Amino acid sequence: MLIYTAQQIVNGLVLGSMYALLALGMTVVYGILRLVNFAHGGLITIGAFIFFYTLSVLKLHFILTLVIALLLGAAIGFLLDFVAYRKLRGGPEVALLITSLGVYIFIENTTKLLASPQPYAFRPPALFLQRFALKGIVFSSTDIFIILSALSIMAAFTMFIKRSRLGIAMRATAERIETARLMGIDVNKVIVTAFMLGSAIAAITGFMWGAKYGQISYDMGFMAGVKAFVAIVVGGVGSIPGAMVGGYLLGFTETLMVGTLPPGFAEYRDAFVFTLLLLVLLLRPIGLMGRKEAL
Amino acid sequence: MLVVNNVHVAYGKIPAVTNLSFAVDEGQIVALVGANGAGKSTVLKTVVGVVKPLSGKIFFSENDITSWGPERRVRAGIVLVPEGRQIFTTLSVYENLLLGAYHRRDHKLRHDFEQIYNLFPILKERAQQTAGTLSGGEQQMLALGRALMANPRLLLLDEPSLGLAPLVVRDIYKTITEICQTGITVLLVEQNINMIIHLVNYVYVMQTGEIKLHGPPQEVFKSEDIKQAYLGG
Amino acid sequence: MNANLLFKHFKFIVGVIVGYGLLLLANYTMDRYTVYIIALIGIYAIAATSLNLTNGYTGLFSLGHAGFMAVGAYVATLLTFPVRLRIAYNLPLLPPFLGGPEYQWPFIPALFLGGLAAAVGALFVGIPVLRLRGHYLSVASLGFMVIVTTLAKGLKNITRGAAGIQAIPHYANLWWIYGWLVITIYVIWRLLDSSYGRAMLAIRESEVSAQAQGIHVTYYKILSFVISAFFAGIAGGLYAHFARSIRPHEFSFSMTFYVVIMLIIGGAGTLLGPTVGAATITAIKYALKPIEEGLKIYGLVEVLYAILLIVVMLWWPQGIVGGIKTLIAFWRKGKGGKENVRVPVGNVDRT
Repeated sequence: MLIYTAQQIVNGLVLGSMYALLALGMTVVYGILRLVNFAHGGLITIGAFIFFYTLSVLKLHFILTLVIALLLGAAIGFLLDFVAYRKLRGGPEVALLITSLGVYIFIENTTKLLASPQPYAFRPPALFLQRFALKGIVFSSTDIFIILSALSIMAAFTMFIKRSRLGIAMRATAERIETARLMGIDVNKVIVTAFMLGSAIAAITGFMWGAKYGQISYDMGFMAGVKAFVAIVVGGVGSIPGAMVGGYLLGFTETLMVGTLPPGFAEYRDAFVFTLLLLVLLLRPIGLMGRKEAL
Repeated sequence: MLVVNNVHVAYGKIPAVTNLSFAVDEGQIVALVGANGAGKSTVLKTVVGVVKPLSGKIFFSENDITSWGPERRVRAGIVLVPEGRQIFTTLSVYENLLLGAYHRRDHKLRHDFEQIYNLFPILKERAQQTAGTLSGGEQQMLALGRALMANPRLLLLDEPSLGLAPLVVRDIYKTITEICQTGITVLLVEQNINMIIHLVNYVYVMQTGEIKLHGPPQEVFKSEDIKQAYLGG
Repeated sequence: MNANLLFKHFKFIVGVIVGYGLLLLANYTMDRYTVYIIALIGIYAIAATSLNLTNGYTGLFSLGHAGFMAVGAYVATLLTFPVRLRIAYNLPLLPPFLGGPEYQWPFIPALFLGGLAAAVGALFVGIPVLRLRGHYLSVASLGFMVIVTTLAKGLKNITRGAAGIQAIPHYANLWWIYGWLVITIYVIWRLLDSSYGRAMLAIRESEVSAQAQGIHVTYYKILSFVISAFFAGIAGGLYAHFARSIRPHEFSFSMTFYVVIMLIIGGAGTLLGPTVGAATITAIKYALKPIEEGLKIYGLVEVLYAILLIVVMLWWPQGIVGGIKTLIAFWRKGKGGKENVRVPVGNVDRT
């Protein structure tokens, strides 16, 4: 029984790490623009496919692949803002939402078009395929990679946002965009940086997702992207640590539900997540650590 | 130093400022007064660049800055302390001050921090505190300090006394006078004319978007009628 | 009724007669396949028109429309499913008072109940969510759709799970569908012309001002949401009894996206926009399908839709009908007409 719980905890940690990263990437943009960027999920898909292509087809070294994926992810983030969102800033929030939806559909179906409607088997480098057993708890090197890199990325990001000049400027812009302009902050640059950072993080999470589940497909990003938003709501809107906490909470809750309920209920995992969302919205819409958001 | 020429500003279809012209000489403290809705805040926002005029020109130290964005104007030395202070409540006092100097690339920051802390000792005390926990008066000091960190040549103040107790306001204005004595030009908007009547060199009285009167304060406010007519008593 | 209202009704009735005339023509001159598509357009037009109530007129952004359609489809189907087939299809779990082994519901009440069930679902989602900002509704309504389809897949004893239900009685045809479309448009039209409609438009313009005017914003949002869900449920029920087969994975996000894009392209915030959008998008889809199949480039149609949506949002947010109205106003007023252009999506409250 103890082993089983411990196993669930490990599984929850892995899933939670991925959700936490996704939530982090999404909240960077959300904090500043109040935009639920549906396209974020699309970046997971793109990231995964970039890794697939460079690793399996071009057969490049993993580190090089990592760098390429991060750069490409950031570039696409930049493009997104430039092409689709910039023109709509300052307008109705809903317009941005709809456009971000359109962007996601575009990404999903372009991937379907260029790659294939069928899922691909995803084989990460051999390093990631080691399996371990510790006192009956099973995990793989991929799991270790996911947890460790998630923690490092989150730590690095927190350092950035708290200590660096640009990071502080981002927090200021997230709070009051007009006053930030008065400080001489180039708000456009801040927003673009937010998009690029978020997208790069999403790209790398795409790799993790693919490595963990062994396959990638054109529609893998959708649910992940939406769940990232659920994580943000649960953990606290507008709060960066909240997003990360929310991600882990979501990961644990989902794992727990799937693990403890009878097998037939496993397919209900997504429904659970959304029921959780509705509950949180009903009882405490601010989330765990959220700041009061003007309605 | 600052020359505003025939400026028209409108929010959508609603005109806010019509055919406005005025000037501020270097080293002066100039006040814009008038009742609510006269357009005073709009003038300041237009000078700092967050609001674009429909027509007219703005000159600063011989440069035509009409097309400049706020980022560029801040770098040139035009700094606004907005209405309601608008400090970043989720950031610390220190971070707020740091942001004031965001656009600066020079290395005299530590020196300037010392200066601000000398001017407002309470800020040094509360340097690591979240700005949202400060009192109204302390927030105003923070807002002033933040503006000073930007190395302003022209300081714009939008209703610095708003929502503050009279004693606090007195202190604030004392500080503002000290600031002016260091050579910084000040243009302020104020509804409470009694506070400023002895401090300022020149006054512009606005009503419904236009300048109706101007001159040294003693002349302009000679009679109670003027006060009644333009400022609602 | 005053004279103006009478005249408007007159125009409406004329429009309906003309419409039916066209349908009659189409039915007798075109082939079965085209008529099938025209009927499908009708169903989607109902869905899009109902979505128009929330997304177009109240400034909300619901993404769960497929969920409401699914509820309507399944509820209506389970009620009308012929008794003898229930045993064959292993659907014993229907509680006796609903139908039992002897009974089979007639079409209209079943359809209504489907719509009602969808409306109740909307209440469940709307009450916690609509007092918050717009994007919460988007994700929550999406979640509702996921919950519904997951339940449909999971409750195998009631819904046959992922296999879905086939051989549904063919109660819906061209006339039924377009009849319901007329009803939907009529209801929404009268709604908009009333104080309720004015409240909604005020909310769309600016929630803050609306609240200041004493309008109970959340109440009206919930009302819009529920009514919209009702008609979506009707659309779902009609779909089930027209296509004669339903499966959970049909009511996916893709379907919601189709309805959204029909609304936007056709023109959100206009009465006929959604119908025009439904026709346009469906026509494009069926025109391009052969190419997609032939060249094996799956996803082409959706990519085009996505690009179309983005382009429309950036440059032409009023959609086709909205654009036409603008052009007419422009033409009539000369230069002054341009000021009447407004983005019909969402309101401009930004903090």
